[in-house]
Amino acid sequence: MSKIVEISPTTRHEGHSKLVLKVDDAGIVERGDWLSITPVRGVEKLAIGKTMDQVPKIASRVCGICPIAHTLAGVESMEASIRCEIPKDAKLLRIILQSANRLHSHALHNILTLPDMYLPGTDTKINPFTPQEPVRSVAKRIQRLREIGQTIGQIAGGEAIHPSNPRVGGMYKACTPQAKNKMYDLAKEGLTLAHEQMDFMIAILRNFQKRDWAEVAGKQIPIPKKLGYHNQGYMASHPLYGSSSLDSNPGWDPQRWTDVRPWDWYMGEGEVSLADPSYPVGGTSPVGTKVNPQMEACTGVPLYDGAPVEVGPRARLVKFKNFDEKGTIGQQVARQMEYTDSVYSILNALDEYNPNGKILADHIPQGDGSLGWAANEAPRGTDVHLAKVKDGRVLYYEMLVPTTWNFPTCSQALAGAPWQLAEIVVRGYDPCVSCATHMIVIDEDKKIVAQKLIQ
Amino acid sequence: MAGELGKYKLCVSARSSDKAILSKSQDGGIVTQLFKFALEEGIIDGAIVAGKGDEPWRPRPFIATTVEELMSASGTKYNISPQVSWIKEATRSYGLDKIGIVGTPCQMQAVRKGQLYPVGLRDVPDCIKLAVGIFCMENFPYQSIVQLVEDHAGMRMDAVKKMEIGKGKFWVYGQRGQVVQLPLKVTHKYEQPGCHVCLDYVANLADVSTGSVGSPDGWSTVFVRTKNGDDIWSKAIAAGCFETKPIEQVKPGLELVTKLATEKISKNQKTVEERAKFGVSKGLRNPYLGPK
Repeated sequence: MSKIVEISPTTRHEGHSKLVLKVDDAGIVERGDWLSITPVRGVEKLAIGKTMDQVPKIASRVCGICPIAHTLAGVESMEASIRCEIPKDAKLLRIILQSANRLHSHALHNILTLPDMYLPGTDTKINPFTPQEPVRSVAKRIQRLREIGQTIGQIAGGEAIHPSNPRVGGMYKACTPQAKNKMYDLAKEGLTLAHEQMDFMIAILRNFQKRDWAEVAGKQIPIPKKLGYHNQGYMASHPLYGSSSLDSNPGWDPQRWTDVRPWDWYMGEGEVSLADPSYPVGGTSPVGTKVNPQMEACTGVPLYDGAPVEVGPRARLVKFKNFDEKGTIGQQVARQMEYTDSVYSILNALDEYNPNGKILADHIPQGDGSLGWAANEAPRGTDVHLAKVKDGRVLYYEMLVPTTWNFPTCSQALAGAPWQLAEIVVRGYDPCVSCATHMIVIDEDKKIVAQKLIQ
Repeated sequence: MAGELGKYKLCVSARSSDKAILSKSQDGGIVTQLFKFALEEGIIDGAIVAGKGDEPWRPRPFIATTVEELMSASGTKYNISPQVSWIKEATRSYGLDKIGIVGTPCQMQAVRKGQLYPVGLRDVPDCIKLAVGIFCMENFPYQSIVQLVEDHAGMRMDAVKKMEIGKGKFWVYGQRGQVVQLPLKVTHKYEQPGCHVCLDYVANLADVSTGSVGSPDGWSTVFVRTKNGDDIWSKAIAAGCFETKPIEQVKPGLELVTKLATEKISKNQKTVEERAKFGVSKGLRNPYLGPK
């Protein structure tokens, strides 16, 4: 008979989420529901009536980890709605900003995920002050990569978190030749570190793949060969940057997107019937705890072509670079493979960037209310913002955030894994839960059928 | 040493040894020379200075990264230049790692406060490598200067060669050679009211602070205050950037600086106290004290 385990909250990722798992007698997940329990922010409602310059800045405040992706997607969705093309040098600065964001975000994810893998000294956390090697030098390398990514980001974008420089129509400030040199020097340093870090991480991940068991709370939990496998499709708009409705060949199609309400998707009411007080950190929920994923989930379930899809590094590599490895480890390997790409794209963009070039469009239209969308390839996947702008004011705004796409996909990937390893599968997606919390549900006819929590 | 002149390690009367700087500078060319030395030695890689603005005699802060740019900003402009507004941008799109900044005492307070509580100034505090303060009795809005020059002194703004406050007068020198002096009594009502709560005359929080008061014409009084300021100043002296005289041997000397500082502080202290009683049962807060 199946039992229910609840891991709440899940740890070592951004935001607040939990796992409700139906497991068989051997502890293997039969059905997993991973859901966000971060309260809905209502940014989409806040946006209405604000100017098109304000909204991307407000939207970026939805999250502190990927505000660069939200700023860029927000700004570009406005530009898509008003049909404004930006100058080349502004675009290059945005590419630098985007790549710098990816560099430091992937490095951050290494800190969160390494304790799951086998590396002596990292059982609980990655500590740069530990005397133990290789943890010490790995931690320092991760810190330096993050520092490099953030510094480049703040030169190109004005600020590493919530960048101030991007604006509708281009950028506010151009980088001086000196700033360009500084970014170049940093990227050159980062390139060596990125290669080292990529090789190191892939070695660690392959080692995990070869192991028969992982230790969780002092117990040996068998690692299934198909950990984190799912049969869903992949969605990515671009290998590096993104796409928008202004592109001649857009990488995303709003017609293929629909939503399902969480109460039609997740498990109904239940009661926890299996608990493990020794599970880190603080044990699972005690037996008898009521669970109701249908009503607790704070996200809609977005579908692409009527099915959940995976977004993120692997989706980009599958779509554009013929990557074909499935499962949690495949996903993690794909993420590491993006390290060097992001640094090379910074270097290439800097080569092309002209500090004296134009960074603001000559004419910025005020919009006629038509729908524009922009998809940004955030570190965690495709971040789509949709907007309608009329006379400089926002009439409609919608954010389809990477982890929102990944929630239902990851839930399917949980099946077949021992429940103790469920969090490892979740962390493989590098979830960023708080920005994924939105609640506008659109059916096949593009009608809004639910705005339950934000009304 | 403390009190109205703040803490300082060293006080001298000095002037630049560079004739080109002296010919363009207000007094001893201390700020321009010190920044020039710091730029050339790599102590800073850019300085936030008050350059020429869109209108005549309206300063516009900008980031000078070459000696030519520095030279273009020399000389005092007697109205407000928002220096601190560039401090973050210098580390961002300008890509500077080591910033120099010159400013009035209140701007030095802002810089130090920003270093202590870097709210909105991420990664900026460590980049500030040289803060030079200038003596300041009060400042004027641009409109005030226009009024003083055009109405009181009867000169066109763009025909002015130099402005100066000294010997109890506001001096306006025209390009055609005319000199107009206005008694400070006339200028008082044009002052920025916000200056009247300031209790700092000689930029107590700067690394090095300087001003004409206390030294003979063409020379400036220099206070070297911090360890960092002392390092840079002694290197500059060793490199022969400045001629110096002991402050005790020049006229009018520290006595006048102390007198003016005391005047400013006691006058403004009164305003602070009056403001505390301003309005009905809720006075304005003393900016030098935290909220209760």
